[in-house]
Amino acid sequence: MKCVVPGANIKVFGRAVHSLSKIGEELYIEPLDHGLALRTVNSSRSAYACFLFAPSFFQHYDDGVGDVSSQDSDDTLRCKIAMKSILTVFRSLSTMEKTVERCKIKLNMKDSRLVFQLYCRHGIVKTHNLAFIECETLQAVFSKDMCPNSLTACSKLLCDAVMNFQNNQEEVTLIVNPEKIVLKNYVEDEPDPTKVMHTNLSLQPEEFDYCQIGVDTEVTFCLKELRAILGFSEVTTLPVTLKFETAGRPIVFSIDSDSTFEGNFVLATLADQLTQSQAPTQSRSTTQKSRSSMKQSRTPHSRSTMMNHRPGNGGDNRSNTRNYGQSNAAERTDGLEEFMNDENDFDEMMIQHETTINHRDQTNIHNNKQTIDSKHKHSEDLSVRSKGDNSVVNSKGDHSNIDYSMEIMRSASPTAGCSKTNEESPVIPILGSRVKITDRSLDETDITMEDGNHGNDVDNQDNNEEDDEYIPGTPPAKRFRSLFFGSQDLTQTQHKASTSVVLAADSDDDE
Amino acid sequence: MPMALSTQTATDDDQNILLARIDNARSVSNILKAIHFKETATVFASPMGLKVTVEDAKCIQANAFIQEGIFQEYVIKEEQITFKINLTILLECLTIFGTGAVGGSCTSLKMCYAGYGRPLVLMLEEEGVLTDCSIKTLEPDEVLDFNFSSTNVINKIIMKSECLKEAFNELDMTSDVLEFLMSPDAPYLRLSTFGNAGSTHSDFPKDSDMMESFQCAQTQTNRYKVSLLKPSVKALALSSRVSIRTDNRGFLSLQYMIKNEDGQICFVEYYCAPDEDVDDPEH
Repeated sequence: MKCVVPGANIKVFGRAVHSLSKIGEELYIEPLDHGLALRTVNSSRSAYACFLFAPSFFQHYDDGVGDVSSQDSDDTLRCKIAMKSILTVFRSLSTMEKTVERCKIKLNMKDSRLVFQLYCRHGIVKTHNLAFIECETLQAVFSKDMCPNSLTACSKLLCDAVMNFQNNQEEVTLIVNPEKIVLKNYVEDEPDPTKVMHTNLSLQPEEFDYCQIGVDTEVTFCLKELRAILGFSEVTTLPVTLKFETAGRPIVFSIDSDSTFEGNFVLATLADQLTQSQAPTQSRSTTQKSRSSMKQSRTPHSRSTMMNHRPGNGGDNRSNTRNYGQSNAAERTDGLEEFMNDENDFDEMMIQHETTINHRDQTNIHNNKQTIDSKHKHSEDLSVRSKGDNSVVNSKGDHSNIDYSMEIMRSASPTAGCSKTNEESPVIPILGSRVKITDRSLDETDITMEDGNHGNDVDNQDNNEEDDEYIPGTPPAKRFRSLFFGSQDLTQTQHKASTSVVLAADSDDDE
Repeated sequence: MPMALSTQTATDDDQNILLARIDNARSVSNILKAIHFKETATVFASPMGLKVTVEDAKCIQANAFIQEGIFQEYVIKEEQITFKINLTILLECLTIFGTGAVGGSCTSLKMCYAGYGRPLVLMLEEEGVLTDCSIKTLEPDEVLDFNFSSTNVINKIIMKSECLKEAFNELDMTSDVLEFLMSPDAPYLRLSTFGNAGSTHSDFPKDSDMMESFQCAQTQTNRYKVSLLKPSVKALALSSRVSIRTDNRGFLSLQYMIKNEDGQICFVEYYCAPDEDVDDPEH
């Protein structure tokens, strides 16, 4: 692999790296034939970012496929580098802008190093030999085209809006209806709401470059990640497009520079109890979408649809159409076909991969089997799908009110013609901190829902026809989730601790 | 001992064996900051001017030269005066009116020393406000003599500081060593670090317009502890030109030419002993 970034584009490249570094700890690099992909995901799997730099972005681009000297088994480089490592290369962007004439990125297979060579003024050459780890492709399955809500704004508008929130504000809620768009800080239920500052910012649809609100909704997502996104968009002065559906469904921020580069940030959103049942709607998106999403990397313009990849859910196609009324028929069909072709792959993949959520094996395998067996069966419960499945983790079924749905697919070397999914690990979109147990009144509802419907929500008009094979009586996902989702543990524990403090008012007095 | 009294006697010029006066104290303080990586410094005063030395670990030594021509008035009554002093305190006193070079207001400085056992007395004045400081002097320790002589120099490079500044500012601090490769052949001058992220090399070609003089007789690769060399960045930052020399033992001499606010030239030099175990084949 060898590519050269011309001096004029180094700023953008460096900024992309910086904004990715604010999301995740590791940078996944993959040279594809349609461009160089830089991706990352955060530790709680609730945020995914991907930059794709087309060959036109580079002075010279060679993705190394077909490179005689490389090994057959990994003829394309798929590697990840610690963010810290790559930040040493792009440490001081302002200086780099002035002094670096071009940046050459190449793979040194012999020493297993990814080499960044900065050719600077005065003939100075800086070479960074970074150690990398080979890994599978990191790829999220997400849908942009199927989102009923779409906002495009110049980044200044969003920067100005975001400036109004405190630096330590974790999450913000975006509330949209066709008349206005409101941004407010998200406050978890505090014991004393009067002690918390509420910030509420309203924007007119006219202020946006493009505003399409198909579904009135409220989505809550992490502000820190939005800041990282805006940090990049500011530099490029390109508009930012937000695509989202509803609470619980991921929100996608895109920055697109014609065909030179494209940045997509997928953030999980908080699903509140009322809309929890919507989580199942994820299952609507079927594999076919995921297939198209897998194609994502191949066609820069493909907006892979659907976050949730469910093997065997061809039926989602229908539901998608129904729900959105958008016609991506062509795409879906393609996806469906592909999906069908790939189904066997999924089987294999699922068999190959370990379930990360072991205790759920039974549940999930059961689910999976069914899904595989019947393509059109919506077997999902939104709980973790294990095994090769691009699992979506919906905390549906838990008492937790927070569902972040996002699916990230890890795929290893591409099988011929198919998307690159050799290995898939379940993705848990749970965003750490929020196992909400506080809303007692709703708990019961939850339970009812859980037992009865596995998420076929009564309340939810939009969604539906999930034939969830959710197994009732399974202990709430959240508990198990905490076993598996590293960071979650802490936050959940912490939250529980704080909850218990709330519950047991005396505990403080003991000190 | 009453400070006031000793101050009064110290300003009695007859008592002083050293008296130096300068209109802009920053000419002294900025240079001293460039070598301030330890608490104490040894001051050598001679008719040629002041030399202030700071050492660490018996491996690195920094010298700041403030020649007598810099001072508006410089009187010394002995051939060589030596004392040790707390450099941190000295700098705090010198910058007591602030460090900014704002608005043309200058702090003027008068330094007096009455001899062995006497304090170093400073009088600083800015816009009519007068401060006097009396800093105890200490018994001078022996300073290292690196025995770095020009005759043993193998490789010598003089270059503009600008490009080296960047390389030093971005030094990978996770690396233990900074390796200097100087060679008559490519890559000519290469600075390398080997840190957690991987290795980083900065190559400076000899025909670069940053190079003012390039005299390398043989290829030499020497490693120096990053932690020891890192303080030299301060001197590098102030300087406009730097000379890099290595001798036959691998000792490194870095000499920085610093122009002060009044356009006068001062020098700071760093000597560093090489890190042993240089003969690792790893590159």
